[in-house]
Amino acid sequence: MAKTLTLNLVTPQKQLLNGLAVESVVLPGVQGELGVLPGHLPMIVQLGFGSLRYKKDGKEEEFAVMGGLAEILRESVNVFAEGADLAEEIDEEAEKQKIKRAKASLSSKDADIDFELAELEIKQAITRMKVKKHHLG
Amino acid sequence: MESLRDIRQNIKAIRSTQQIMQTMKMISSARIRKAQQAMDNARPFAKKMQEMVADLKQEVLALPEQNETESWASRFFVNKTGDPSKIGLVVITGDKGLAGSFNAVILRAAVAFLRENKEKEIAVFCIGKKGRDFISRLRYDNIKIVYDSVGIFPKVTYAHAELLGEAVMKEFYDKHLSSVTLIYNDFKSMGSQRLAQEPLLPFSLQHTEKNEDETEFLFEPGVKEIFRILVPRLMKAYMYRVLLESQAANLAATMNAMDAASKNAGELADALGVKLNKVRQAGITNEILDIVNGAEALNG
Repeated sequence: MAKTLTLNLVTPQKQLLNGLAVESVVLPGVQGELGVLPGHLPMIVQLGFGSLRYKKDGKEEEFAVMGGLAEILRESVNVFAEGADLAEEIDEEAEKQKIKRAKASLSSKDADIDFELAELEIKQAITRMKVKKHHLG
Repeated sequence: MESLRDIRQNIKAIRSTQQIMQTMKMISSARIRKAQQAMDNARPFAKKMQEMVADLKQEVLALPEQNETESWASRFFVNKTGDPSKIGLVVITGDKGLAGSFNAVILRAAVAFLRENKEKEIAVFCIGKKGRDFISRLRYDNIKIVYDSVGIFPKVTYAHAELLGEAVMKEFYDKHLSSVTLIYNDFKSMGSQRLAQEPLLPFSLQHTEKNEDETEFLFEPGVKEIFRILVPRLMKAYMYRVLLESQAANLAATMNAMDAASKNAGELADALGVKLNKVRQAGITNEILDIVNGAEALNG
C-alpha cells in the first residue's frame, strides 16, 4: 500500500494543489471533519465551510474551503471546492472589513441588495477567520 | 484630378483610423493573455470533474430505477422522459463586431440548426449582443429566447457561468426538453478559432474509456444529496469553460481582424502618398512650364 496520498485541490477559478504527495488529509465534510489516510475506502463527500488540512513531510498546511465535493480514492483525494484560500494568506483585518461592509448593506433599506450574496460573504469571511485562528493555533 | 488638399485629408483620415485599429489590436492582445490564463486556471476543475463522473458511471447508470429525487439527476444523464419535440440551443457570440467572421460563423451554424429542427419547439439561450439581436429578429414561430445575457465579455466570471448554467438546467428540467445543443467558438490558438457545436445535455458519459477497476463508492451524506450538488457543479464548470473559451477566441479574432485592417489601411495610405507626390510633381512641372513659356514669350 502506498504511503502517500495524491492530493488535488481545484476551484472553478484555479488549481491550487496539483498532485501533491501528502501523508494525510482532513476534510471539512458536511457531517463533520473527516480524516483520510492512504488506502481509504473510495468515497464521495459533500464539503461544508471549514478547514482542509494536510500533512506533508510532517508539516501541516491549512486551507479555508467554501463548500464543494471531494472524491476519495485509495491513493488520491480530489477536492472540488467552490472557493479556497491558503490559511497563511488570509488577512483577518480585510475579512473583518468585508463582514462590516456586508452587514452594512444588509441593514440598509436599499431594495436592490442581494441578500443571499451578502450573507454568503459573511459566512465565507467568518470561515476564513476561523481557519486562520485555528491555523495560528 | 483630385486636389492636393483632398488627398492630404484622405491620408490623414486613413492614418487616424489605422491608429484606432492598432489600439484596438493592442487592447485585445493585452486582454487575451489574461483570458488565456483564466482558461488555463479553469481547465483542471472541469477535467477532474469529468474524471469523477467517469468514476461514478456505475452509480449514474443505476439512477433511473431508483426513487424520485434520484431520477432528478438521471434526467441530466440519461433523460428517458424528455419530450422529443422540445429542444434547447445555447448560442454564444460576442457583443461587438470588428472581429472578422467570428459572429457570422456562429450565427450561420445557429440558423442551420434552427432550420433543421423546424418542427420542434426550441428554447434559445443567447450569450452576447450579436447573437441575441440576430436571433430576436428571426421570424420563426417555433423559437423562443428564454435567456439572454449581454455585455459580459471580456470580463467573464464564474458568476456568469452560474446564472447561465442554472437557467439552462431549469428550462431543461421544467419543460422536459429532450436535449440541449451548444454552439460557440473554441479557442484553438491565437491565429485560429474553431466553430464548436456539441451536445450539452444530457451529459455524455463518453469520457469513461479507462475504467478497469469499477470502484464502489461510499457516499456522505447520501447518493442523492451528492448528485444534487454534483450536477449543477458539473453544468456550471462546463459553462464556465465554454464562456472563457469564447472570450479568448473572440479577443483573438478581434486582434487578427484589427491587425489585417490596420495593415490594409497602411497600404492604402502609402498608395495615396504616392499619388499625392505625383499630383504635386505634376503641379510643379506645370508651373515650371508656365514660367519657361512666359520667359520665352518675353524674349521672343
